[in-house]
Amino acid sequence: MTELTIAMPKGRIFEEAYQMLIDAGFNLPEEVEMSRKLMIEIPEEKIRFILAKPMDVPVYVEHGVADIGIAGKDVLLELKRNVHELLDLKISQCYIASAGLPNTKMNEIAPRIATKYPNIAMNYYKEIGEQVEIIELNGSIELAPMIGLADRIVDIVSTGRTLKENGLVEYERITDVSSRLIANPVSYRMKSARIQDIVTRLKKIVN
Amino acid sequence: MTSIKMFEKPIGMRDTFPITYEKMEAVQQAGRKFLKARGFEFVKTPTLEYYDTVGKASAIYDASLFKLVDSQGNTLVLRPDMTTPITRLATSKLLKEKIPLRLAYFANVFRAQQLEGGRPAEFEQAGIEIFGDKTVYADAEVIITAIELVQNFGIKSFKVTIGHAGVLNCILNDYTENEIQASQLKSLLVERNYVGFEEAVISFDLPKTKSDALLQFINEAANIETIEQIEKYVSKNDSLLYMRSLADLIKQANLSEYVAFDFTLSSHMNYYTGMLFELFAEGSGFPLGNGGRYDGLLHRFGSDVGATGFGIRVDRLLEVLSTTQSNEKTVAIIFEDSEFIKALNLANTLRTEGKLVTVQARNGLVDEEAFVQVFDEVLYVSQEDQEQ
Repeated sequence: MTELTIAMPKGRIFEEAYQMLIDAGFNLPEEVEMSRKLMIEIPEEKIRFILAKPMDVPVYVEHGVADIGIAGKDVLLELKRNVHELLDLKISQCYIASAGLPNTKMNEIAPRIATKYPNIAMNYYKEIGEQVEIIELNGSIELAPMIGLADRIVDIVSTGRTLKENGLVEYERITDVSSRLIANPVSYRMKSARIQDIVTRLKKIVN
Repeated sequence: MTSIKMFEKPIGMRDTFPITYEKMEAVQQAGRKFLKARGFEFVKTPTLEYYDTVGKASAIYDASLFKLVDSQGNTLVLRPDMTTPITRLATSKLLKEKIPLRLAYFANVFRAQQLEGGRPAEFEQAGIEIFGDKTVYADAEVIITAIELVQNFGIKSFKVTIGHAGVLNCILNDYTENEIQASQLKSLLVERNYVGFEEAVISFDLPKTKSDALLQFINEAANIETIEQIEKYVSKNDSLLYMRSLADLIKQANLSEYVAFDFTLSSHMNYYTGMLFELFAEGSGFPLGNGGRYDGLLHRFGSDVGATGFGIRVDRLLEVLSTTQSNEKTVAIIFEDSEFIKALNLANTLRTEGKLVTVQARNGLVDEEAFVQVFDEVLYVSQEDQEQ
């Protein structure tokens, strides 16, 4: 059996995906101690997990240092990396939407859009033929309309609570997001038996 | 704006240092010898081509083209691939003299990079093209040559996946309701977005038999061992028979272990009309090369004789190859001022033995100790030596 490297985002998605692998019959220890570790070896299954920032997972996979990985659709859409998208794990489901202060219209000349996802936002407004100015922020996006930096924000919405707490309302739903199993194009061929096996077994758990 | 520093190069451009140069040279020599022995003739084409001819016909995305304007106002491109210029050259001249025609190249191509500044925007490519033979034997020759070329470089762990544009189009058209759906599915396959493919199939609201067939197809077709496995999706047609005989020829050549079939394989360019393939090797995260039959491109250049070929990226090949130790010995001859001729004579004798000899005046050295360290052998020529 060949060694397989899996890139995983730290945090909740890791835990959920890890549980899915256990449910799919992979022999993994129930508890993993992952306080500050960046790599976890599972010799029994010849699997190595590398723990990365969610935005970095497709980068590791594209360069082939990880054979497969788990990445949010939001990240895949934003980064457009050259990876194969194999399976929708249907975990951490949410969506990307535009939001703003209630009962407001967008500035008519060039409304400002604050977002963590400049490419997704740009493509969305391009498609609906709206001329906008994109402002890239790294967090606390909700702040932007409140203090007058932007007319709208484009961000992830899961329950809508954050929006509500900050007095914002959702305007347009842009696209659905969930975690995906992705693969490096070369690994997908060179380790096809192992990767196919994981896909088949996880697919049963998803459905 | 920050100003450009003196040592900077345009984004994606790289210097080639001696070690890489030698490695590349060795690959080129071995590759040339291998391909010449198989009857391929090497050609070179210009670095600049017209945008309206080669630029537009090329398989490379427009945004990746380096464009410039000549003194007449025509838009030019730095050649983004070799297949298109060679097609121009073959259709305009060589095909009139010899048909079928087997051509090969080692050349640098230029593609502007959108991601991460350091990725190469100029790199070497090696490849072959066979013009004027529409039989399955030409396609088999291309695939077999690709496999044997890779083996010739000493690469053990590699894989070729083969698909067929005709078979895929047939399946997509048969199981969808209209052309828009078929082309949407096709572009999802180009992106290798299998999840998106499934979502799209479900969203089309097709009759159950059709959508079930497509969903099963996407599950199976990317990794199949034998052509028979795909036959249940397609009514018997020429493309399928073609793939059967291709698989059979590869089997006869005893190379089946390196080959897998992937009928979801698809290119964003519609000039790939028949079989197409990709080449992967362990040791690089990116595909090593690709190829296929591109009768459609020839058609653009006004010829209907058909063509097939492949290209390999030499930079990725170098990444995959283990570093080979050169068995050439380097020698430094360090001479005192009066011993110049003696040093030259000694150097010439050593050179006839195949050694790589550097002749250096001692007075010209700033740090002798550091200098001599990079040589396998160091000889001193001085007055005292003569007396001894």
